[in-house]
Amino acid sequence: MAVHETIPGVTRPFPLAWNLEHKGVVFGAAILIALCLAGAVLVPGFLSGSNIRSILLLAAFLGLAAMGQTFVALLGGLDLSIPFVIGSANIGLAALLGAGVPALPAIVLIVLVGAGVGLLNALLSFSLQNQALIVSLGVGFTLVGLSQVLTSIGNAYGGNVMGAVPALLAHISAANGTTFGLPVPPVVLIWVCATIAVSFLMRRSRIGRGFYAVGGNRIAAARLSISAFRYWIYAYCLSGALAATTGILLLGFSGGGFVGVGDSYLFTTIAAVVLGGTSLLGGAGGSTQTVIGVLVLQVLTSLLVGLGFSFAAQQVVFGLMIVPMVAIYARSPEIRLQI
Amino acid sequence: MMTDILKRLPAGTSLAMPLGLVALLLLLSAVFSPQLFTIDGIAGAILVSAPLIVAAMAITPIAMAGRGGVDLSIGPLIGFINVTIVAWLQPHGFGTPVMVFAYAMLAACAWYALLATVITIVRVSPIIVMLAGYMVLAGLDLVILPRPSGSAPEWLGDWGFGTEIFSPVLAILLISGFAWGLLRSTALFDNIELLGADERTAYTAGLATDRVRLAAYVVGGLLAAMAAICQTAVIGSGDPTQGNRITLQAITALVLGGTALSGGRGSATGSALGAIAMFLISNLLSSFNFGAMSGFITQAVYGLVLVLTLLATLIRFRSKPVKGASDGRS
Repeated sequence: MAVHETIPGVTRPFPLAWNLEHKGVVFGAAILIALCLAGAVLVPGFLSGSNIRSILLLAAFLGLAAMGQTFVALLGGLDLSIPFVIGSANIGLAALLGAGVPALPAIVLIVLVGAGVGLLNALLSFSLQNQALIVSLGVGFTLVGLSQVLTSIGNAYGGNVMGAVPALLAHISAANGTTFGLPVPPVVLIWVCATIAVSFLMRRSRIGRGFYAVGGNRIAAARLSISAFRYWIYAYCLSGALAATTGILLLGFSGGGFVGVGDSYLFTTIAAVVLGGTSLLGGAGGSTQTVIGVLVLQVLTSLLVGLGFSFAAQQVVFGLMIVPMVAIYARSPEIRLQI
Repeated sequence: MMTDILKRLPAGTSLAMPLGLVALLLLLSAVFSPQLFTIDGIAGAILVSAPLIVAAMAITPIAMAGRGGVDLSIGPLIGFINVTIVAWLQPHGFGTPVMVFAYAMLAACAWYALLATVITIVRVSPIIVMLAGYMVLAGLDLVILPRPSGSAPEWLGDWGFGTEIFSPVLAILLISGFAWGLLRSTALFDNIELLGADERTAYTAGLATDRVRLAAYVVGGLLAAMAAICQTAVIGSGDPTQGNRITLQAITALVLGGTALSGGRGSATGSALGAIAMFLISNLLSSFNFGAMSGFITQAVYGLVLVLTLLATLIRFRSKPVKGASDGRS
């Protein structure tokens, strides 16, 4: 069968890979447009500048965290430590700044610690195949417990850390911030640039393609001398560093350290990844797809808030969306076809 | 033929690790927290740890049924039954024991039957279905009861005083354990193990895989109903905010007990021991005076124990050539 398809010069108009990879994107984009239209009709001021800006701002935070989750999901893993890294980075940075450490070294240190936590996740979950979920959860528990213990020594308010946030950091994440005169908060631009760069690298670079090779078929990747172990480390370190970055940026947004700031990211990063079309089994999807998942989640949130839905009711709607969305592109074949 | 296949499965879950952990913690408790071993201490311990013990047992058959089925929805489901008993059943005079038990079992079994059916028909991976289920139920809990309030039926609230060792809550624990023991001797149990270990082999061996998965989930549902009733007895009111905590702790207890998240082998006894270990950890830590920090330290210790237990399984199974091999879901 394969012989017929590899005749040089003969390409099929729509190769199977195109279908699989883009069905989710096309569908996600369609939903996104439909949501925007529904918002414009149903909610006054939905397409106003300030509303779009706030959607993009919240999408940027979720987007950066979900980008890390995407790397991990591409290999067939999961990172449940993300919310705990976000919370720990948030209070950790506030505590460092409060202790008089200059902003730049403090931020670099926090991002490095985030990557270090990712490294630990990678080492443990690679040794314990198929247990990535619980390993990263355990690492997350440990981290958030320790970071709260450390920051609350000599401090009566465990979990909350007050302190002056540098003006630049506050500006980057401010809802009314501007970038080079554009009325967009800088964090949105950071997210957009990071996504474009990552998408390009994932498509064109050797390392980027390696993610798909390892996620698609680890044995085949090993035959090509692509080390699954190394990619496992790349993915989790990136995820940890991105989660720490999100925690830092959220400190700029809120102005005070709070360990619970990451809690809502526990399942929403996974939701954004699967809504976009990255299979949790690995090998298909990517950060471009995740952007669509993030935007669908945030635009829908804004629409539901505009319609007067409570946070709880929004969650119900998200939950109801996930299975049908995933069913479009990630159904496994019937068991009798797998034999 | 079936027995041949079963012989080639990984050996049954060893209880050595969770038993050792519990023994060590009991020893430490005897030194640092002797009040645990009084009548009141034991009665309180049974009461407080019961919901988590039964919840961890409930997700065991589901994890055993394979495809990476980690039930994230257990916490919000327990929350759902809890808030509906308080907000719907109780005010309308349906708070009698028979009604409450019937309702809880019906609701939990219906939920797991729904999950199993979606997993079977839509054919997306269980973790996604359970993630969706988590979000739907966690949201519904808060819609039904926006904040912790209300009161449990009087008879159920009385269970929550915890002044006697031989309480109805202990009876629920014992009945759940006994029912699990009965299940172990049935063909269904072997079939669930086979299904989780290798679904393709199970299918080619003529197993009705869909029906076995459904059965495993419904067994989990029956136990989840008991967990929800225990939880309602312990808190004596309705609380929609517990879902996240219960889910994370139940999964931790499951893994501490040695059940493989990849499916095929598992032990409800192990899960129960895992839950007991978690109770002992938090009890032990609360006997030290960490003040405002005790919650953080408990969380850190849960995480450390979890990671260390996983590493210990690594040493135990090191001879197995797993790395990179097919994991049964390809």
